[in-house]
Amino acid sequence: MAAFGSFAILLGLVLCAYNLLAGTVALRQIAVHPDSTAMPERLAETARRAGIGSFVALTCAAFALVYCSFTNNFSVSYILHHSNRALPLPYKFAALWSGQEGSLLLWAWLLAGYGFVLRLRHKVDVKLTAYASTILAGIQIFFTLLLVFAAPPFALVQGAVPADGFGLNPLLQYPEMVIHPPMLYLGYVGFSVPFAFALGALMMRYPGEKWIHITRRWTMVTWLFLTFGIFLGAHWAYSVLGWGGYWGWDPVENASLMPWLTGTAFLHSVMMQEKRGMMKAWNVWLIFVTFMLTILGTLLTRSGLVSSVHAFAESSIGSWFWTFEVITLSVCLFTYLRNRDHLRTEHQIESLVSRESSFLFNNLVLLAACFTILWGTLFPIISEYVQGNKVTVGPPFYNRVAVPIGIFLLFLTGIGPVLAWRSTSFKSVRKNFILPTAAGVLTAVVLMAAGMRPWTDVGTLYSLMAFSLAALVTTAIASEFWRGARVIQRHTGKNLLFSVVQLTRRNTRRYGGYLVHIGVVIVFIGLAGSAFNRSKEREMGFHDSMSIGPYRLVCQSYTQDSNANYDSEYELLNVYQNGKFLLRMSPERRFYHASQQTETMVADHSTLQRDLYVVYEGKNPDTDQPIIKVFINPLVAWIWIGVIVMALGTLLALVPNMSAAQGTAPSRRPPVRAEEGIPQAAGVGD
Amino acid sequence: MIFAACAVLLIGIFIYVFYPQRKAEEQTQKTRLEFLRERKDVVYENLRDLNFEYRAGKYPEEDYAAQRAALENEAAQIVAEIDFLEGDVHAA
Amino acid sequence: MRQVSGILDRGLLRLWLQLSLACLLLVFAVGAGDVSGRYNALGHQMICTCGCNQVLLECNHVGCTVSTNMEGELRAALDRGDSDHVILRDFVNKYGPTVLAAPTGTGFNRVAWIAPGIVFLLATLGTALLIRKWRLHTVAMPAETAADEKTAAIRARIRRETEI
Repeated sequence: MAAFGSFAILLGLVLCAYNLLAGTVALRQIAVHPDSTAMPERLAETARRAGIGSFVALTCAAFALVYCSFTNNFSVSYILHHSNRALPLPYKFAALWSGQEGSLLLWAWLLAGYGFVLRLRHKVDVKLTAYASTILAGIQIFFTLLLVFAAPPFALVQGAVPADGFGLNPLLQYPEMVIHPPMLYLGYVGFSVPFAFALGALMMRYPGEKWIHITRRWTMVTWLFLTFGIFLGAHWAYSVLGWGGYWGWDPVENASLMPWLTGTAFLHSVMMQEKRGMMKAWNVWLIFVTFMLTILGTLLTRSGLVSSVHAFAESSIGSWFWTFEVITLSVCLFTYLRNRDHLRTEHQIESLVSRESSFLFNNLVLLAACFTILWGTLFPIISEYVQGNKVTVGPPFYNRVAVPIGIFLLFLTGIGPVLAWRSTSFKSVRKNFILPTAAGVLTAVVLMAAGMRPWTDVGTLYSLMAFSLAALVTTAIASEFWRGARVIQRHTGKNLLFSVVQLTRRNTRRYGGYLVHIGVVIVFIGLAGSAFNRSKEREMGFHDSMSIGPYRLVCQSYTQDSNANYDSEYELLNVYQNGKFLLRMSPERRFYHASQQTETMVADHSTLQRDLYVVYEGKNPDTDQPIIKVFINPLVAWIWIGVIVMALGTLLALVPNMSAAQGTAPSRRPPVRAEEGIPQAAGVGD
Repeated sequence: MIFAACAVLLIGIFIYVFYPQRKAEEQTQKTRLEFLRERKDVVYENLRDLNFEYRAGKYPEEDYAAQRAALENEAAQIVAEIDFLEGDVHAA
Repeated sequence: MRQVSGILDRGLLRLWLQLSLACLLLVFAVGAGDVSGRYNALGHQMICTCGCNQVLLECNHVGCTVSTNMEGELRAALDRGDSDHVILRDFVNKYGPTVLAAPTGTGFNRVAWIAPGIVFLLATLGTALLIRKWRLHTVAMPAETAADEKTAAIRARIRRETEI
């Protein structure tokens, strides 16, 4: 099976290379001789089919690797190092992405998958898709080359084959870990598609902004995957790493956040191009940078350039990524310089107080956040170069620098929707802002009256700001729904609820987007809770008890267990809240046989108010009694709820608008070439 | 067995890619008319949006009038050119 | 009238200054207070040096002896009554500069803190200038062009078709 897998990868490489070559030749010929024979078009069709074929080939390769994992084929070095006989089946499946070679194969396969869908749906715009498909083939070549030369997943074990594998890293043996990496990769890889379309559109000097319309759903789905991937990772860290937090500003985490920030900026500013023909060059560069950041993350962590707790897969493939990054940048720069006159803006900002300028500032802040994170991630390297010693740039740095930016961003989340396109007069801004501002101020006053003291420490101050801004943004968005629904209501005479539904269906992207903003607000509420985290640690033997917040924990027993995969130690704790029995918790520690590694299983009781988070830290060797660490983390559940709301909002934004679904803009006659000799062409288009 | 699987994969994909097609999908350049219709849809959408936001109380009367006039000018130019081209098509 | 408002402004300014000073003092007063507060604060300013890259007090690396030792040293130093500055300096001397969880505010390390702010300021300035430039270049569209019959008909059609 390993031979079949290797062959399939090789075949995939050949097909991608053919797609790139034949595609380039065909596109070149069509560009030079637009009215020649049908030959180049046939060539382009074979290129497209080769691209589809590459997906089939890589699917076979991925299947082969999973098959090897399921059949315990330890002659394959990758399987030997990432699986063992006793490993439960879902994790054997997850072995596909738990090491470097496998995750690169997954990456290549997902890329081919996106390409497959794109190439199947080529009738949306045959020529533009041909460009995008060829560019995508170029990216695919890079990843398949890696699989062939730098990180072959089917490399065989030298010498005698061991009877059992070394097992999967226990940190990865957690249900969410089965879906977190594919989600994240779907997000990373997905940005290749809008990237390919943007680059293709620039190369062919695509007239109009339809390419944005074509890629809009791709971008949103990709963004959703990335968002989900990032938060699943945070949730996994929270549930598995057992340090009571969900975000440690680790380089790998930062690497996933950077393309998310630029991608979010792109999602916003691209609307200015779609609606008003503005910011064309900016948008093109935003998507170029987003794509390059998806690669940079892998480059930074895989090349060992920065140290990370995520060093599941460190190796020498960094130089490959460097090369690819440089080639990508050169291609982008060359195409941009050649065709930059194509990106002239059609309109300009008419007023400082407008939706456009709010998008501009939103972009500014998102990019500032991205720069800060990149700067923090790279500073240790810069420091080593300049002053000869490495320094650590850890959570205190980011908390001090990135949190204020985040709070400013939250503020913009509320302002943007209230402003109108083109220009808004100060009078109407004032009118529309009174209520949200009042809500924000009122929240701050109530919270301070309830005992929040923002002057005691900066964390509390940020929390207070986050809470009151959350109220401001929610009110602003709610009033936006209300105002819109009132218009519908006056028009149709139906009730308010019906009007809200109708309103949303008329413009799903806008109101879905507002829902995403509400999700962001909820996430911020959850994040703000972290200023009030508390923890306590002590040795807890039989009948020992510990009090924290409203809870009292009493040890019922502690014991150990064993199965084929791991040995475990755990403690049974009865939890009382305000004197009443609440539940029984069992924090656990596992020792995995195959990998000889230890792992904590956190016991977490999560409510909307707070999480009671209990960790079994180990046994005191002197007394042989377990040490238990308890955290009270307020409002954490809101983060996960917020993410779900964000996802729902994105899904809503993906639904076609009601009027569009009913087909208000029919194309009446077949297209006729009519570029030349048209009067009145000036002032319209590009 | 493995050899057979490799062969089937190779031959299958080879046939799929190079099977002679009677008619390849034509890579037409977007016509001016198509381009204009896209533009018209966008400007129309902007106009509808403007009307809606005006009724939702985001624009004072004078701003609204000026902006609507500007957008209508833009739309009128496009529509006129579309009409001209379509007339041309009919005549042809 | 203007004078009155000027006095009022000055009064307000002074009040603000006094308030912010009071806040600042309070922050320091609270921060310097109890030993457990200092232990917590210092423990979060350093990272565990075992290679796990976690904040010292959050290192849960199972069986990590490094963080246990470091925590012990921190407690001992606090018991001795060392100042925060001395404690951090001793840790740096013993474990190297990477023990600090964030760059210090001295020498080249200051750049780490300043750069994001400068970039943000420059970008804001750039954006503001850009908007200003654009606004200056904006040409007001003629409200109504001299309408011949055909244009008027098109306008009427557009208006009909774009009603909400």
